[in-house]
Amino acid sequence: MKPSLFHLPALVLGLLAAAASEAHHSFPAQYDIDKPITLTVTVSKVEWTNPHIFIYGEVSEGERSGTAWAFEMGGPNTLLRKGWKRDSLKPADVVVIEGSLARDGSNLVNARSVTLQATGRKLFAGSSGGDEVPTAGQKPSTPP
Amino acid sequence: MTTAPRLPRPSAVLSLVSLLALLCAGGLQAQWIGYPTADVPRRSDGSVDMQAPAPRLPSGKPDLSGIWVPVNPNRRSNGEDVASDGNDIASSPHMANIGADLPGGLPYQEWLKPIVKQRTENLAIDDPHIRCLPDNFLRAYGLPHMLKYVHTDGLWVTLNEMNAGYRQVFTDARALPEDPTPSWQGYSSAHWEGDTLVVDTIGVRDDTWIDWNGSVLTEAARVREKISRPDYGHVVIEVTVDDPRAYTQPWTVTLRQRIAVDAELIDEICLENEQFVRLMGLTPEPAASP
Repeated sequence: MKPSLFHLPALVLGLLAAAASEAHHSFPAQYDIDKPITLTVTVSKVEWTNPHIFIYGEVSEGERSGTAWAFEMGGPNTLLRKGWKRDSLKPADVVVIEGSLARDGSNLVNARSVTLQATGRKLFAGSSGGDEVPTAGQKPSTPP
Repeated sequence: MTTAPRLPRPSAVLSLVSLLALLCAGGLQAQWIGYPTADVPRRSDGSVDMQAPAPRLPSGKPDLSGIWVPVNPNRRSNGEDVASDGNDIASSPHMANIGADLPGGLPYQEWLKPIVKQRTENLAIDDPHIRCLPDNFLRAYGLPHMLKYVHTDGLWVTLNEMNAGYRQVFTDARALPEDPTPSWQGYSSAHWEGDTLVVDTIGVRDDTWIDWNGSVLTEAARVREKISRPDYGHVVIEVTVDDPRAYTQPWTVTLRQRIAVDAELIDEICLENEQFVRLMGLTPEPAASP
């Protein structure tokens, strides 16, 4: 797949943005930072909406292969500043998504980063739990 | 007799081409992201001179205008006292607990203690912010959303990126209303004491959340803000809350913000597709009162 996704300066900006950017809601009420997950997903739909963007797709590798999942990200304003565009991801794109599982056991993840498998390019997801990989037991202190 | 169509003059064509080139160049800025902020004082290395003198209004008083984000000394980039580019916004420690700096915490009245305890323990699932309701100005200072101050000699307006919110403070020292109908931001009048803008506010709604723990203001609240811009890069807000219905005594905290440059507000309209309440299966909590 061609790396048609991201402007390079914006990509660099996003990668350098080590500080977390929290979005809208109570992360720890909905997601468990101590349950990290990494899934390879074929994108079926992108909802580029406020206050949070959702990516939907089917897992394409591993034991969860064939199951449908939803991934919550930051808001459009946060992601635009991190180098995303509304068409950065398209249906049929294959991405590796890192994030935290929902507490209710559903196939819902708060995404922390999204990497385009074909290019290896990675962008932070504006997670309301922070974009940095947490250390064990570390809780996001500022969720909304 | 037919007339040959008039061709535009070469100078007009040149002007049009120049205009189109300018417009195209603007489009490369990805909307307003990265558009250079005017009159930013910079050091020789190009970084923003955060300690440069604050700009002044025509009256000579400090001009609060600019885009501001919370200071959070616990965050790596924010702790370095650099200007934000809009891509490194974090909430302040006061966002979760506005009384974080007070020994013993906020002096809650007895009726409010169990309510705040419950709200803290349930991780703020009843937070009005989550339900897309407006953030009171005290809370907005600490939330990770951009605030844009538009300041003239008669008016100070805050535009909140979240929900396209606004707060207006009349800086003509007008008398506050005697029987205000409660509102989300209350009624604010300000006067200058030296280079400090002193803002008095009354008339907020009961159960106005002012932090993530669920601390509140009531209709009885009187809020005084002493706002200064000691230099280009910072705004300091000393807040005193006198709300005898909610607190046993007045309390004072200091909130800090830093400038954001080469950035601009972007739509963040919560109601567009808020999913938290649905996914959590929540119902609205009744407003708390004594």
